[in-house]
Amino acid sequence: MSLVTDAFVSQIAAVEPWPENAALYQPLKSEQVLLSDNASCLAVQAFLKMCNLPVQVVCRANAEYMSPSGKVPFIHVGNQVISELGPIVQFVKAKGHSLSDGLDEVQRAEMKAYMELVNNMLLTAELYIQWCDEATLEEITQPRYSFPYSWPLNYFLVFQRKWEIKRKMKAIGWATKTLEQVFEDVDQCCQALSQRLGTQPYFFNKQPTELDALVFGHLFTILTTQLTNDELQEKVKNYSNLIAFCRRIEQHYFEDHDSSISSSTKLSKGPTLP
Amino acid sequence: MGTVHARSLDPLPMNGPDFGSHDDADLVEVEPQKKQEILENKDVVVQRVHFEGLGRTKDDLIAHEIGQVFKAKNLIEVMRKSHEAREKLLRLGVFRNVEVLIDTCEGEDALPNGLDVTFEVTELRRLTGSYNTMVGNNEGSMVLGLKLPNLFGRAEKMTFQFSYGTKETSYGLSFFKPQVGNFERNFSVNLYKVTGQFPWSSLRETDRGVSAEINFPIWKTSHTLKWEGVWRELGCLARTASFAIREESGHTLKSSLSHTMVIDSRNTSILPKRGALLKINQELAGYTGGDVSFLKEDFELQLNKQLAWDSVLSTSLWGGMLVPIGDKPSSIADRFYLGGPTSVRGFSMYSIGPQSEGDYLGGEAYWAGGMHLYTPLPFRPGRGGFGDLFRTHFFLNAGNLCNLNYGEGPRAHLRRLAECIRWSYGAGIVLRLGNIARLELNYCIPMGVQSGDRICDGVQFGAGIRFL
Repeated sequence: MSLVTDAFVSQIAAVEPWPENAALYQPLKSEQVLLSDNASCLAVQAFLKMCNLPVQVVCRANAEYMSPSGKVPFIHVGNQVISELGPIVQFVKAKGHSLSDGLDEVQRAEMKAYMELVNNMLLTAELYIQWCDEATLEEITQPRYSFPYSWPLNYFLVFQRKWEIKRKMKAIGWATKTLEQVFEDVDQCCQALSQRLGTQPYFFNKQPTELDALVFGHLFTILTTQLTNDELQEKVKNYSNLIAFCRRIEQHYFEDHDSSISSSTKLSKGPTLP
Repeated sequence: MGTVHARSLDPLPMNGPDFGSHDDADLVEVEPQKKQEILENKDVVVQRVHFEGLGRTKDDLIAHEIGQVFKAKNLIEVMRKSHEAREKLLRLGVFRNVEVLIDTCEGEDALPNGLDVTFEVTELRRLTGSYNTMVGNNEGSMVLGLKLPNLFGRAEKMTFQFSYGTKETSYGLSFFKPQVGNFERNFSVNLYKVTGQFPWSSLRETDRGVSAEINFPIWKTSHTLKWEGVWRELGCLARTASFAIREESGHTLKSSLSHTMVIDSRNTSILPKRGALLKINQELAGYTGGDVSFLKEDFELQLNKQLAWDSVLSTSLWGGMLVPIGDKPSSIADRFYLGGPTSVRGFSMYSIGPQSEGDYLGGEAYWAGGMHLYTPLPFRPGRGGFGDLFRTHFFLNAGNLCNLNYGEGPRAHLRRLAECIRWSYGAGIVLRLGNIARLELNYCIPMGVQSGDRICDGVQFGAGIRFL
């Protein structure tokens, strides 16, 4: 978003309170959504729950194309449409809700650095596994991504997306990596996160921040998604504090609210941790 | 010996039953020769037809077109038939130039009343190309066109057009093949990608498609059967697009069969003086694949009547209905739109009917009617020349566009279409551009405006091919 839109959004947003009918749009949960998209959607859901902002989760087959940035998820609040975690955090902040206000400059810089790490490592690894690993592509990505479309459009769209991702991988130098190297990267990222978390309940001690939401979104999705093999899951499972962290957020923000929040919200999160 | 240049026959009426002999004096130039003979009313026989300048064109193709020439019994008929044959040959789109030369027969087997007809033709080049640049609203584009006429020697045609713009790229490849000896019966295949921006709906649509169609005449009607498979990508034109448009975004695949019947007895398609047009189009999507299912019917009727002082009264009626099949609602790309300088004047382009936050969503049923009185310009400046391209017109347009609840009966449908009718009246100037398009500058007074409609009160400019 440009500076002008930023300023505009924050001005508009500040005036209106958070509406009751705010909605979060994401791909179809059981048939369509991919690992990386699910992680992003879950991160935003967790973030909004941490902010205590109610949102209704709506699943749409064309969510990706409805989004102004072409990426899921996006939220529809009043007459505003905002996609992806970063802009959503800003938008919510403009409305007066923020998780990172209590942090000082250094901590905030650190939080941003870790968020970049997660986006650069975990998200890219997820995209790599989905689109560049032939087995996963054929068995999982292809049927799921093309689920809403009929022949021959299903092939065109998968091909188009695959080409796009491969180009991106080439640009960031991941094209030549092997699956083992990618798993190694995931392992290193998890190690860094695990060390930073240590024995604290959240990354910045008592209060969850957007970093916690992002890490939860990715790790929880990796832990609960069945892929062609368990290697990715195993990498995360090596870090017990990260698993405990996921379970803590799940219990605190997703299960506790069962009574007050409709069951569809709970369902949309997916399976619970083993 | 007399040599007659049939080329000078150009202004002859195609089907004038009587050829007054006084006409012939102007048209037929008989070169003075020693042994002059009056062939006019004599029986003649066309013995031979020669072609000069034929290259890759196959003989059977032209044999069909000139067959009638042999049936001529007298000179006038020979000239007329040759002229018709020339027109037919030019229509094939194979020759750049066709000249006809009629001469008496020479040689051993020459009959005393035998004639030779020689067609001097120049074939089009194997490959012709064109190159344009266009500058539009915030967009520049480069258009490259390639044409391969008479590809295999039987009037097949291959055309390719590629447009590379700063915003959009589009292309079209088409192959056309007429039946030998029956040009109206033809077959064509198209492959294309087009991008349209529809600011009245804040919508961008990119279509990539394949279509195949057969055209054939039956009695006085001409029919088109078409199959089309098109991959449509819809998106918002701007971030500010309404959420209703956002919800329509994404990819759909339409596979449809359509049939069009046209009866056209008008003298010309732009500003006709007499005759009528009836066009009925029906499209069935979904049964041949794809993920869009609907049945669409629409028609267009136009009647023209010449009145005193060169003025013409033209009435037209359009209507259409879209019935979605299955549970899925209709797509914004399939619905009808109404309003604007080419349909109901006085309203902004496609700005009538259902809308959401200022974005027009189109409707599943519509009708529109118009009544025009075309007259020559006052005091007729430039008469017989440039001034004849202009007409003044007075018009009364009406129409309605809405969504129907198909659970209700036809009576309720008619009631819905009859309520909230938008109409407008006004006057303006029409300019005819060639035989394909027209420009209009009108002063319009819109009436029956409903909330949400966008009007264009006062002067409105319109350009287009199809007008109500």
